[in-house]
Amino acid sequence: MARSLMTTLFLGTALLSASPVLAEEITLQFWDNQQTESGLSDVQKAAVERFMKENPDIKIEVTTVPYPEYQQRLLTAVQGGNAPDIATLDQIWVGAFAKAGAVSDLTEEAAAAGLARDGFFGGAWDSAVLDGKLYGIPFNVDVWQFSYYNKALLDAAKVDPARLGTFEGLKAAAEKLTADGKFGVGLFGHKGEDTVVVGDSFIFSNGGRILNDDGSCALTEAPAVEALTYLQELSKFAPGGILNASSGDMRELFLNGSLAVEFWPALEQPTLKKSSLSWGFVNGTAPEGKTPVGTFGGWNLAVFETSQHKEAAWKFIQFMVREDVNGDVVDLIPANKKAAEAFLTKNRQEPQAIMTHLDNARARPLSPRYLELADAQVAMFQDIYAGGKPADAAAKACDVINTLK
Amino acid sequence: MRQDRRLHWLLLAPALLLMAVMLYYPMVGTVYESFHETSFLNPGPKFAGLALYRRVLSDGTFTEVLLNSIVWTLGVVLLQNIFGFLAALLLNQNLPMQGVLRAIVLLPFILPGVVAAILWRFMYDPQLGLVNSLLLQAGLIENSVAWLADSRMAMASVIVAAVWKGFPFSMLIYLAALQNVDKSQIEAAMLDGAGPVRRLIDVTLPAIRDVIVVNIVLTLILTFNYFDIIWVLTKGGPQSATHIFPTKIFETGFGQFRFGEAATYGVFSILVLSVLVALYAIVQGGANRRRAAA
Repeated sequence: MARSLMTTLFLGTALLSASPVLAEEITLQFWDNQQTESGLSDVQKAAVERFMKENPDIKIEVTTVPYPEYQQRLLTAVQGGNAPDIATLDQIWVGAFAKAGAVSDLTEEAAAAGLARDGFFGGAWDSAVLDGKLYGIPFNVDVWQFSYYNKALLDAAKVDPARLGTFEGLKAAAEKLTADGKFGVGLFGHKGEDTVVVGDSFIFSNGGRILNDDGSCALTEAPAVEALTYLQELSKFAPGGILNASSGDMRELFLNGSLAVEFWPALEQPTLKKSSLSWGFVNGTAPEGKTPVGTFGGWNLAVFETSQHKEAAWKFIQFMVREDVNGDVVDLIPANKKAAEAFLTKNRQEPQAIMTHLDNARARPLSPRYLELADAQVAMFQDIYAGGKPADAAAKACDVINTLK
Repeated sequence: MRQDRRLHWLLLAPALLLMAVMLYYPMVGTVYESFHETSFLNPGPKFAGLALYRRVLSDGTFTEVLLNSIVWTLGVVLLQNIFGFLAALLLNQNLPMQGVLRAIVLLPFILPGVVAAILWRFMYDPQLGLVNSLLLQAGLIENSVAWLADSRMAMASVIVAAVWKGFPFSMLIYLAALQNVDKSQIEAAMLDGAGPVRRLIDVTLPAIRDVIVVNIVLTLILTFNYFDIIWVLTKGGPQSATHIFPTKIFETGFGQFRFGEAATYGVFSILVLSVLVALYAIVQGGANRRRAAA
């Protein structure tokens, strides 16, 4: 009796002490930001629940940070050694985080899992590749810019919307549409990234580049300078105050009917659908005979070097970009192409046109010092919108950019 | 006596400790960083000697930031004190509904800086803003003005917004001082036939001289350090037309992750502020001595 009691006690103790090991749960910190008011956090919660059900040994703690604070919070966390396990990184931050050794190289993991460029939008995939290594998996995307137009204003001025897709047509239309307190085109040039992405798309569409393959500045080359000259001419038909105006300011004018054409990504559609405007859009603008090339925006999922559970983190990333999940957990467009197709068909007008523009879009330069590079570009755009010579403004920007190599 | 001294230090200790941790440690850290190349890419500080100072001083932006800071600080301080003083004179009269009037005048001061700036951003909007609308209606301008986007107008525009936000602070201090002016002196001056302007110049202003000087020095310090109005209205733009030290430090440090250069700008900022604080101490000391002598 005493022996069996001892045995029971021993086994019980052994089981009790073993149970925490057997059921050891990994907790992953996942940080994301919210750019739009889409009720995303609720669907994300549901997806996280689903992941945890599929992987009972992994617990995910989600921290959603408002977009304006996100960059600083993440930066402070990395500097302080408190980085999360996984986070969404703006495409333009990947270079800096990778160079600083803050995020993990996922090249081998992606190859082993069969995740490859052709499953995603090419430009979005490229935004995570630095020196041939993959530092993130595209999570969501959008493209700057679509030219949204006010149908009533275009009809009244007898402008064919299809003409907005070419440099020549947009300028002629903008000139025609600028009258009686109305403005032809919503260009903006404040100190913000939206100024850069729209400017870049005109440069890309004209066959230009921001950086050459060796990392030197390409803005002084003819296609870029021509695009800047074009933007300067186009700015005559934009509302005044361009140097302090943002895409948000142009949206206000577009919504109140005093602006004929505004530049926004596809995420503008829900806002326009809620308005009483009759609207349509074309895919960016390029010289006659060329295809408009937009600028990618969006977020990549990255694993932080300090994570103690990289394997589990990678599992979570694979789950989040899966075709049947990706569309439910993003507020832009899913980066997984198949998920994007389904998402756009369900949620956006003219999904095929958007897919085409996404396929043609290009990422911004993946420089570890992108933010300084972008500041030099903002200064360049402000110079030309203030009336400076495009070639001089480009040369000035290149002087700065070439020191960042 | 020795016990008294111990008690003094004991009572001062929490405040001194707090200041050491929250103020002096970061300040020393800033000076240290300004001699080191530190960025997000290279978080380990690398000694750079005076390289960052040379880089900052040789960059044309530094001169612009310095000049902007001077124009901004002097412009805001001058106008804020003039309007604050005039408002205080008005509210020191026996006006009907004085409580309501005071509350209305104080409103801009109560508003958070960011809210006030957003309000002014709407008012300055070239197409939809109230400022252009009123000026057009009054026939004072023919076309809408881009107040914040024109580098010739931007600084004046942000100064106006800051003065609107800040003048009630000066008004409050002046009002308190005016209410302490010896009424018998004013009555004596009236009996001598002095009009309102003469009474103001000969009686009121000398009586509140110390308050005026302290108020000016205090607003110099606060204005030099002001951040939110300019950041929300222009982010220091267009180009660098409205960049002052605090906005430049923020942009360099948190916008571009160039912590070393941001710290260098910070050191220059500390130097200017040290002069202003010393000035404040001298002025305050003089005022105390005069009060003691009286």
